Amino acid sequence: MADVNERDDQGRKQARASPWLLLAPGVVFLFLFFFFPLFTLFQMSLSYRPSRFEDPVFGWEWSNYSEAFSQYGEQFSRSFVYAGLATLAALAIAYPLAYVIAFRGGRYKNVLLGLVVVPFFTNFLIRTLAWKTIVGDQGWVVDTLRWIGILGENESLLRRPIAVVGGLTYNFLPFMVLPIYVALEKIDPRLVDAARDLYSNTWRAFRKIVFPLSLPGVFAGSLLVFIPAAGDFVNAYYLGSAKTTMIGNVVQNQFLVQVDYPVAAALSFVFMAIVMMIVVVYSKILGTEDIA
Amino acid sequence: MTALAPTTAPRREAMTGTVTSPSGRVGKALVNVMAVLALGYLFLPIFVIVLFSFNEPKGKFNAVWQQFTLENWLHPFSDTALTDALILSIEIAVLASLVATVLGTFLAIALVRYRFRGGSGVNFFLVLPLTTPEIVLGASLLTLFLEPHLVLANQQFTLGFTTILLAHIMFCVSYVAMTVKARIRGFDWTLEDAAMDLGASPSRTFFKVTLPLIMPGILAAFLLSFALSVDDFIITYFVSGPSTTTFPVRIFGQSRTATPPQINVLATMILVVSVSVMFVATWFGQRRQRRMGIS
Amino acid sequence: MTDRQEHIRKEALRLARLAGAPRLNRRQFLGRAGALLGVAAVGPTLLAACGGDDDSSGGGDGGGGGGKSVAISNWVDYMAPESKQAFTKATGISLDYKEDINDNNEYFAKVRPNLSKDQSIGSDAFVLTDWMANRMINEVKWVQPLDEAKFPNKVNLRPSLQSPAFDPTRKYSAPWQSGITGIAYNLIETGQEIKTIDDFLAVEGSTTVLSEMRDTVGLFMLATGADPTKATYASAQPAFEKLAKAFDDGSIDGTNGNEYVNDLASGNLAAAMAWSGDVAQIARDNPDVRFAVPEAGGMLWSDNFMIVYTSDKPDLASEFIDFFYDPANAAVLTNYIQYIAPVDGVDAELVKMGGDAAKLVDDPLVVPTPELLENVSIFGPLDENEEEQFDERFAEITGSG
Repeated sequence: MADVNERDDQGRKQARASPWLLLAPGVVFLFLFFFFPLFTLFQMSLSYRPSRFEDPVFGWEWSNYSEAFSQYGEQFSRSFVYAGLATLAALAIAYPLAYVIAFRGGRYKNVLLGLVVVPFFTNFLIRTLAWKTIVGDQGWVVDTLRWIGILGENESLLRRPIAVVGGLTYNFLPFMVLPIYVALEKIDPRLVDAARDLYSNTWRAFRKIVFPLSLPGVFAGSLLVFIPAAGDFVNAYYLGSAKTTMIGNVVQNQFLVQVDYPVAAALSFVFMAIVMMIVVVYSKILGTEDIA
Repeated sequence: MTALAPTTAPRREAMTGTVTSPSGRVGKALVNVMAVLALGYLFLPIFVIVLFSFNEPKGKFNAVWQQFTLENWLHPFSDTALTDALILSIEIAVLASLVATVLGTFLAIALVRYRFRGGSGVNFFLVLPLTTPEIVLGASLLTLFLEPHLVLANQQFTLGFTTILLAHIMFCVSYVAMTVKARIRGFDWTLEDAAMDLGASPSRTFFKVTLPLIMPGILAAFLLSFALSVDDFIITYFVSGPSTTTFPVRIFGQSRTATPPQINVLATMILVVSVSVMFVATWFGQRRQRRMGIS
Repeated sequence: MTDRQEHIRKEALRLARLAGAPRLNRRQFLGRAGALLGVAAVGPTLLAACGGDDDSSGGGDGGGGGGKSVAISNWVDYMAPESKQAFTKATGISLDYKEDINDNNEYFAKVRPNLSKDQSIGSDAFVLTDWMANRMINEVKWVQPLDEAKFPNKVNLRPSLQSPAFDPTRKYSAPWQSGITGIAYNLIETGQEIKTIDDFLAVEGSTTVLSEMRDTVGLFMLATGADPTKATYASAQPAFEKLAKAFDDGSIDGTNGNEYVNDLASGNLAAAMAWSGDVAQIARDNPDVRFAVPEAGGMLWSDNFMIVYTSDKPDLASEFIDFFYDPANAAVLTNYIQYIAPVDGVDAELVKMGGDAAKLVDDPLVVPTPELLENVSIFGPLDENEEEQFDERFAEITGSG
């Protein structure tokens, strides 16, 4: 049992066979149902339809990609813009909350963190439908905005980009709060005290010390909000209009309504490639530990 | 879900007492107000959902407040299609979480416990499903299930229970692995050697020493998987068959045609159960910590 | 447990405690393990209980006791609540009635993977619109003939519906209901009556058109003076341009399947392209919601009952449609859903029912008058290529949302 005695400084074993035995079931499963499907998706993206209702046949149809771009470029850019705006909005809302929980939560820290998570125990669709009720034309939000004069008599919030971005912001907010909280929690308070002495004012201490130290959390949170937001179709479906459709709506519609698999597959593949590139860049800079 | 996992980071007192300037005090109050507003924002739709479970809608849509009634709560399961969908969702969630928890825990143990060539590669491979947009996961699984493949023993899938289950296990495995990994990172593996040096067999060591110690992490991962599985719509929508309708898929269908208040009643029930589970888990966690003399 | 083992356990726990790991006594540990084992034991039972779910042909639990059962997929609000029980009472067949069709294309996409591989879809029969019935009967051939022996009431089918081009002898299909596509509006929101497509486009509040291509394009073709009964891609160009312009300048906010009913009732929409019976049902709760057939004309369509080729119960499914071809049963349906029944003799039954039902006889949207029938068109047949051209152009304009 030579391997038992060879340990690194954390007491971890160096071994050959046993980790792979433990890894095998999970890795094989993920290979079959995560990695391999991506391959079949790629295959589909290069297929053509012999007739409208038959299963597509593989044939190096690169034209699917050009068609995807030329026809749905608008939805593409819109998805990234909306997701970017939602990420910024989520950051603005989440940071003060995470800050207060981490530094002023005291013994209620866990309770407060629980409160952040609790709303997300109700189903995603039901939450979005509730937002539709709240910002609907008969709701008090629109009534108030019309009364103040921000909205005209016949203007609505629903079906506008702001409604979609608002829905995205809400639905992925905890993914921003939790990583920022974790990052802030790691900061040694003595460091902050020292900074406060040094810079003499809280705001500058925050800017020079706390914020830079929380950046890994901010980055991780941004990624965790941006990715699902860019790929979402539910918010645009319930809260948007024909002018706010996103890439998810197109993929959903092409796959599950129009039955035009190849172009939709090309579209999803390009979308995933862009997202993966972002993730790889992130993980190179920050390491995968912070993403998960 | 961090709330399920009370951190073992050193406890610190709230930082007070050093703020002197009035502007600092105003700033501090401002930040507090912003945090309270953020919490309010988080809870606003929840309030609406719970409130409308007591609504007596005029017509088929529970979207405009009419009047208070207890009728919906007295007949929470009267929409049988919706109830069946919820039962199916729970069945799938239990099975998917069980399998995902076993697979994910093995992965986590292997990654934390052993240093081996390819470890960081596996780590990256595990993160990928978490960073792939759901719509892509759903679409890719649909293309997988459309026709038989050699690597899957030429099995011809029927969109339905099996395909939903496989999809849910897939997206839960990585979450489980990450959760368990984070929880056992500080674990001292020399304990196992101690047990074995004292004559325990490897399997006995695993069941008597290792497993009890990492059990809280496994439990948290199981609960997380369960919550993710019950809630999933996008992936499930792609791989569910015409006759297998989960709770979210049913809601999506109904939202277009009629929304009975039972949707809100069931959603509120799920919320209450989840919060209770979270509360109990946290309470146990804190009791454990107290016994360990950490806090 | 031997002393030695006990000793090992204590020792390991002591070490664990020293290392700062949480302490578990034996009872706690057993409790936890027990809970997990419990779940593990329930798992396989559940698996066994629901393993057959996706393959069970015909769907429906049979109502227990091995009785006869039939599963029907239909559109929402296409059934009177009392009719379901009446059917089971009259025939002894328990009914698994699913309201899972929201859109012809979406339903087609949902069943395509299964039906193209000879797999069950959990339903014995479904109800789809004329053009989709054409695809099911003549293109993909995923339906089987109705069982004439179990469908004696077929004689009650209205003569005008007896020989459509897609099924000249009604071998595979039986109309479930017919309806008219027009404009629904909320009088309070619009402030005035809507009489034409241009009125509709001029509405200030939010408006939507139907995601059903033939309905929307058909109404726009009529408004641009084209004839949808002889639709060609060329003749539809003015209609497509008008539609594209309306989407561009925001006169139309999007497309809706069945969802417009919700938005119209809750006031989120001022006006929408809509189906006659739906609007009649909303108007019961909200009398401000009106329906109009545009002056240039409306669209007439039928939804057709068909039996899936994978079903092994064509006889039971045929008994189902036979039940609703009895004028008395058809009248109960009509009274509730307020579409146009395909069965002769319904008017007489409605009069017999008296009250509000009798008044329906005078509603041209339920019992169409010759003048109304003069003003509505049926969308003509499109070949596969043309249909694809229409669909693609329509998807492009509506943003595929």
